[in-house]
Amino acid sequence: MNKRYGILTSSLLGLAVFAFWMWGYPQALSYQEQNQLFLFTWDYLLERLSLPGGFADWLSEFLVQFFYYRWAGALILALLAVLLQRLVWRAARKTGSEDRRSLYALSFVPSLLMLVYQGDVEVLLSYPVALILATALCPLMARARWHNLWIIPLGWWLVGPAIAVPVLYTVIRNRKGADLLMLGWLVLTAFLEYRLLASQYPARDAFLGINYYRLVESLPALQVIIPAVTLTVILLCGLGIRLRHPGVWGGLAAILLILGTWIGVHYSYGKDTHETLAYDWLIRNGRYADVLERAAKYQPNNPVSACSVNFCLFTQGQLNTRLTEFYQCGTGGLVLPSIRDNLSDVTSAELLWMMGMPNITLQYCFDLQESIQNGRKSGRFMSRIAECNIVNGWYDRAEKYLDILEHSLFYRKWAKERNYMIRDEVRVAADPVYSYIRSVRFKEDFITVYSSLDLMMAVLYNQNKNNFMAAEYYQAWQRLKTLEDVQ
Amino acid sequence: MKRWIPLFTALLLAACSGSTSFVEELPNIYPDYIGVTVPAGIAPLNFNLPEDYDRVFVRVTGDNGGEIKVRGRWADFPVRKWHELTERNAGAALHFTVLGRKNGLWKQWRDFIVYVSDVPLDDYGVTYRKIAPGYTTYSTIGIYQRDIHTFLEEPIIESTLTPGQCMNCHTANATDPSQFLFHLRGRHGATLIQKDGVREWVTTKTDSTLGNVAYCYWHPEGRWFAGSINPVRQCFWTGDQRTIEVFDLASDLVIMDMNDHSLVVDPRFTTTDYLESSPAFTPDGKTLYFCKAKAFEVPRFVDSIRYDLMRTSFDDQTGALGDIETVIPASREGHSIAFPRPSYDGRWLMYNQADFGVFPISHKEADLWLMDLQTGESRPIDEVNSPFSESFHNWSGNSRWFLFSSRREDGLYVQIWIASIDENGHCTKPFVLPQKNPHKYYHSTLYSFNAPDFTRERVRFDTRGVYREVFSDERIQATVKQ
Repeated sequence: MNKRYGILTSSLLGLAVFAFWMWGYPQALSYQEQNQLFLFTWDYLLERLSLPGGFADWLSEFLVQFFYYRWAGALILALLAVLLQRLVWRAARKTGSEDRRSLYALSFVPSLLMLVYQGDVEVLLSYPVALILATALCPLMARARWHNLWIIPLGWWLVGPAIAVPVLYTVIRNRKGADLLMLGWLVLTAFLEYRLLASQYPARDAFLGINYYRLVESLPALQVIIPAVTLTVILLCGLGIRLRHPGVWGGLAAILLILGTWIGVHYSYGKDTHETLAYDWLIRNGRYADVLERAAKYQPNNPVSACSVNFCLFTQGQLNTRLTEFYQCGTGGLVLPSIRDNLSDVTSAELLWMMGMPNITLQYCFDLQESIQNGRKSGRFMSRIAECNIVNGWYDRAEKYLDILEHSLFYRKWAKERNYMIRDEVRVAADPVYSYIRSVRFKEDFITVYSSLDLMMAVLYNQNKNNFMAAEYYQAWQRLKTLEDVQ
Repeated sequence: MKRWIPLFTALLLAACSGSTSFVEELPNIYPDYIGVTVPAGIAPLNFNLPEDYDRVFVRVTGDNGGEIKVRGRWADFPVRKWHELTERNAGAALHFTVLGRKNGLWKQWRDFIVYVSDVPLDDYGVTYRKIAPGYTTYSTIGIYQRDIHTFLEEPIIESTLTPGQCMNCHTANATDPSQFLFHLRGRHGATLIQKDGVREWVTTKTDSTLGNVAYCYWHPEGRWFAGSINPVRQCFWTGDQRTIEVFDLASDLVIMDMNDHSLVVDPRFTTTDYLESSPAFTPDGKTLYFCKAKAFEVPRFVDSIRYDLMRTSFDDQTGALGDIETVIPASREGHSIAFPRPSYDGRWLMYNQADFGVFPISHKEADLWLMDLQTGESRPIDEVNSPFSESFHNWSGNSRWFLFSSRREDGLYVQIWIASIDENGHCTKPFVLPQKNPHKYYHSTLYSFNAPDFTRERVRFDTRGVYREVFSDERIQATVKQ
């Protein structure tokens, strides 16, 4: 096959994937980034390496931290898609056949299938990273002979169950009885490593991937299908089937791949989920007007979207004039109650912080962070937790979080500045945000009750008439309450 | 021995390049081990200097001989040599000479002393639950055991094995790990009771009771355990002094008979007007201590709920409870008592006292108190209390040591502290559970050490078996004893 043709088509794949994440679904990148906190410490590396698949996990988290910038996230995902395609093709070429161009288009299938699968925002990057590492091992393991005795257990520990791809590749490609023993060796060593080192995990998780998917007790079918397809594609491409009109077949395959990917993306990227994520991403970046623009075209009918849109209305000074133009679901869509997941309360926490309720913000952010099901921390939430502690004057606690954040890449500078500030009341008072929150917060200590949130807003406004946010939200609360009663 | 100190000091100085300045102050070490009393054979009291000191040199000598010298980024003593030194100096003192290097210059502080008790701490280690000290949600949680003679920590069970199931405190029978229980909450929830390696999964909720038992305490003979049933809720404060308040919607007290899995439900302990909590048997098994408060509407009047210390006699043949007697009417004085714990030798009773409520860990003013069971007199244990919360506590097997939870580190993250007590009830300055690199460990951990207890031996636990049984949902249904 023409080398230039290969580079050109791979580049096209990369460009398409880059454009997809850069302009199509950048919110998913932000979501991934805010559900982990990569730290440049040995302890962090060792913690990841203490579980099967840990190296792929560590590497993926290293990459995901760059999703802080969407162009970097899109670029990384594009490069990974190209890398997977090239590695699949490389593994196929190593099978020894001469003319392989006819089925070249198939080498794109795993990357495109992965793109479809990533429509589920709970798919962790460690899954494609593990598959890439495993695919890269295919040619190596096929030649490694007795070295596979140590490569297989080490590979299982470093990349997880995706190591089955090169093992099966070797067994099928070499077609030797002795290679069948490799399968037995994989099962035996994986079982031993699991029992000795990972027994605090269910066997199903250990053997199907502990950190490939964020949610516990869940196993999407594609997590098993994609490695199987990858292996099949490698072997099929490697057969060297000669087609009569490779150009025609290639063109047809390209059309089918584009069409299939489009359909897959259409069905796997839940519209409401990604729209809700988009609101969160835009709010995080202060693009409040863009939220309203999007919501005017389409708004998911859920409390999280209502809360986000209402908050953006407030920031544009339109909360009480345009309230009824958008989807509403009562007072629960103005400020959400405490919900045990890692997304719903993000906007509520943000607005309560601005309104002068740092303790509820602290509660929401703490619960948001603890709701990340794979037990990871969040740079975004931890930063706000640290800020709530600074506002409360709890500097020892704030320092703990800031010191952790100082080990990250993108929160480091921010954390250093705060660490320099804490315990110096003059510096804290000079910070416009902290001094404002302190000036508008509750002066009295009493117990909060969600159902009385409107009264709490009234208290805030009455004790500081500059807190117009509390006043506007109070009015909106009463209007929504009236609407609820009418309905 | 003392005449050699100048010589050793000179040698130390010679070992350190550049000039060394002497200061009369004590070194600012973390954790504060200065003047503490430790048992022989405890894990090394490794410590750190402030971060701007890049090098530390420590020499430890014992009154009864022996010496350790270490140098490095922090004081990291070899375990075997440390054990030899402390065992040799049981009943004597260890003298620490500390030098630190900052900006290339060495500084030597005044020597400090650590006392080695002649009373042993025979237990293998401690058990605890690690959980984020937060609000309504946790991501990972686990029950662990830690060998207190080394730095080895092992999970007994982690939530990764049983996702979606929250686990309550691990309760052994007077530090004996051959008999323990803990409650698993969630879809597959049940109380796991293990005795001599045999596990039973019991549903302790019945038609006549509020729910499953939560805070439990074993009868010394192992046939019975007392438990409080309390649906727990949380609410939150608006000020900058506190954040969270934990309270019970209701709270009753029952006794479980392990012979036939029946519950003794005494109507005097299950009224709606009063809350009963924190049961604990005396070591002779004849008396049950517990806390009792008048119920108020919650969370509105949560700060009006104050528990008194009560006791009743217990018939270990029938499970019958006798007359109820008020031991300390704390509510009259505007206080609230929680977690009474009689020492296993029957000499003392330790408890928590706060301004109100049942959850002292979230009360900054909560302190440990000690009651002399011979005289009935109580006093705050000023030797161990701090301006922050002191809470859950337990006795060592020989009742000469105790551990307790404290938030003194930063006001939020709970650590385990250990202290000794003599025959007259005098306690020594406590020390935090030693760690290999203490500052790094305690400063970076995002977990609290919850519900600690001593364990006589290493806990043996079949996690695979537990995993199978949790999801099998095969449960023994508790009944109400007629």
